[in-house]
Amino acid sequence: MRILIVAQRYGAEVVGGSESHARVVAQRLAMVNEVEVATTNALDYWSWAPHFPVGESMDGHVRVRRFAVTAPRSPTFKDAERHVLFEPHTLADEQAWLAIQGPHTPDLLEFLRRDGKSYDAILFYTYIYEPTAAGLPLVPERAALISTAHDEEPLRLVPYRALFQLPRAFGFLTPEERELVHARFHNEHIPSEVLGIGLDTPPWHDPEPFREHYAPRGPLVLYLGQVSEGKAVDELIADWIAYRDDGGAGSLVLAGTTRMAIPERDDIVSLGRVSDEDKYALLEAADVLVLPSHLESLGIVLLEAWQVGTPCLVSAKNKVTTGQVARAGGGAPYDRGGFAEALATVLADRESLGQSGRVYVEADCAWPAFDMRLEQLVDLIAN
Amino acid sequence: MSDPSLLVVVQRYGDVPGGAEAHARSVVQRLRPHFAIEVATTNSTDYLTWKGDLTAGLDQVDDVTVRRFPVERPRAWNFKLYERRAFRTGHTLEDERAFIDAQGPYAPALLDFLFKRGRDFDHVLFFTYIYYPTVLGLPLVPERAVLVPTAHEESAIGLSAYKPVFHGPRAIAYNTDEERRMVWRRFGNERVSNEIVGVGIDVPAERDPARFRVKHGITGPYLLYVGRIGVSKGSRELFAHYERWRASDPAHDVSLVLVGDAEIAIPKTSGIVHLGRLSEQDKWDALAGCAAFVMPSLLESLSLVTLEAWAAGRPVIVDARSPVLAGMARRASAGLAYRSAAEFAEICELLMDDPALADCLGRSGADFVARTYTWPRVVETYLDLLAEVRARLAA
Repeated sequence: MRILIVAQRYGAEVVGGSESHARVVAQRLAMVNEVEVATTNALDYWSWAPHFPVGESMDGHVRVRRFAVTAPRSPTFKDAERHVLFEPHTLADEQAWLAIQGPHTPDLLEFLRRDGKSYDAILFYTYIYEPTAAGLPLVPERAALISTAHDEEPLRLVPYRALFQLPRAFGFLTPEERELVHARFHNEHIPSEVLGIGLDTPPWHDPEPFREHYAPRGPLVLYLGQVSEGKAVDELIADWIAYRDDGGAGSLVLAGTTRMAIPERDDIVSLGRVSDEDKYALLEAADVLVLPSHLESLGIVLLEAWQVGTPCLVSAKNKVTTGQVARAGGGAPYDRGGFAEALATVLADRESLGQSGRVYVEADCAWPAFDMRLEQLVDLIAN
Repeated sequence: MSDPSLLVVVQRYGDVPGGAEAHARSVVQRLRPHFAIEVATTNSTDYLTWKGDLTAGLDQVDDVTVRRFPVERPRAWNFKLYERRAFRTGHTLEDERAFIDAQGPYAPALLDFLFKRGRDFDHVLFFTYIYYPTVLGLPLVPERAVLVPTAHEESAIGLSAYKPVFHGPRAIAYNTDEERRMVWRRFGNERVSNEIVGVGIDVPAERDPARFRVKHGITGPYLLYVGRIGVSKGSRELFAHYERWRASDPAHDVSLVLVGDAEIAIPKTSGIVHLGRLSEQDKWDALAGCAAFVMPSLLESLSLVTLEAWAAGRPVIVDARSPVLAGMARRASAGLAYRSAAEFAEICELLMDDPALADCLGRSGADFVARTYTWPRVVETYLDLLAEVRARLAA
């Protein structure tokens, strides 16, 4: 089968959830198919500045076609976005927003129009960007949309009204995403597959040094990911301080790129970015992993925590992670104000919750299981 | 419970010529008892110029509210240039976009209305796939859209711009099985809910060929054509075929009667009679009296007047290259198709020499129309399609 994957950015050095998923899918499908990727020459999504050379290259067995972004993201993008999201505006404003957001790549669209028919299936990643929103309508008869949608304002905008009615099939990351899309667009008649993700076995790692360092002072509570207000880490820190003020013990360890100020306290430790080995060492050393973020397409870090038997606490506001925890039986959701109580509950039952999470991940995220779901998605289009 | 609401979108509406427009109006009249119905259209009656010859704003047609939105640009004077650019191989997406705007009717206020108010209606029925209001309007309300494409093979349908029009709507109401097969082959959109709906034919109780002959001075047997007389309708070929047949076979003294507006010069050949537009009653009288009805047009998604000829019990002569007409004539056992001038002549001779055969084909056509193209069936099919749209939205 000849399969094309369209994504706004692509490459080993690209940071981003949907971009990583796209690359995993490309590599898995390339084991038994002829797989190509159509993408841009940009590395980051806030400037879309050129980084990769335009043209063809190979990423393993995957042929990557990079098309030039013709305009950087407009400096007034945020203003244009606020205007269409929150102020009275016209149809033309909403239509213009898509190109202003970018990445604007006319050559990629012309390529789809001209050569799209030579592929048996075309997988489009992320509903929101122009390569998908303007590209999928050129080849709806052979398209799958891997929307990576969450409940956010842009989902209401006009370019997406038709987009979600056009593909032959949907690939969703979670059942919660499927429910959201069906509720918004009434498109249950389009077949879909919940893909989730596949995971490699964790690399060798040693949790002991972290346990020796942090655990003697009480439970080691870990946050792993981008340390920012966008991920609601500020809320986590406030909850943590309230928990300590009420007599709770332990350490909060933050690991990941830091994009916010962190209070200087003995019980809050910020490690910055860590290696893959340290990541798994921290996950295994932790008594519990906390994910406070309200919006996630798929909490991969939860799956990684379960791989090493660590239970998780997630924000009850987040339907996706709450659903993941419920399916895995690997932790608990908490509301603001209920953090201490939820933490105590999970700690009291750490072993069995962690074990339940591990069993879930071993079944659901094994590569053969993931490959089968991918194959079913491709079959929905190609048959 | 109040009636569900239905918005009908069509490029022109009211007392305007055009098959798709007449189709839209007759469907609106039949669906009116079942829905709170409104029409969104333009303020133009002329598809060649789209000049705004009607007042923009609210209007009433047959007791239905009609919102007329202003056409803000006439059809591009050099539209042919836009066509050539968009239809050549190696054209760009920009060429396609420019073609859609240039073809018109360019009525951005109609799109704004759909953008802001379209979702207040339970369903939106779009007539004709090709024009600006449908191409750019349907993607604004796809989850409640039903398309009546009235499509046939032509260059425009190959443009990528039309893919969302055929993949996006919640349902499609095709005119004929031939149209549906053509669309499926081109677009691969079999998964979109659809029905073959078409229209109903109203046959007047009384049809008097003698009255027609007296009124218009027609004597002897005649072939009849009703419709616009122009190049795109195959009229030139019809004239040529007819002239060759008469020259080669002077024994058959058969005239060719043309009813409708002429866009091209009509040859002064003896036997060709142009009557211009006729009243409904005159048309039916003419249909009932013809030896055979001739439809030389290749580009039809559904020829109403061909169905009317059958309803009047007359056989039809069609061009074999028209998949819809030839297919229908075959399925109905009610007509004969020609591939050349020689075959046209043979068919004419056959029908003249064997009136019993002609009558038999005509009766078969009348049966076909009575079976398929009746309003109760058409209305019921629309009601089912639209109920399905509502059910999906409510789910």
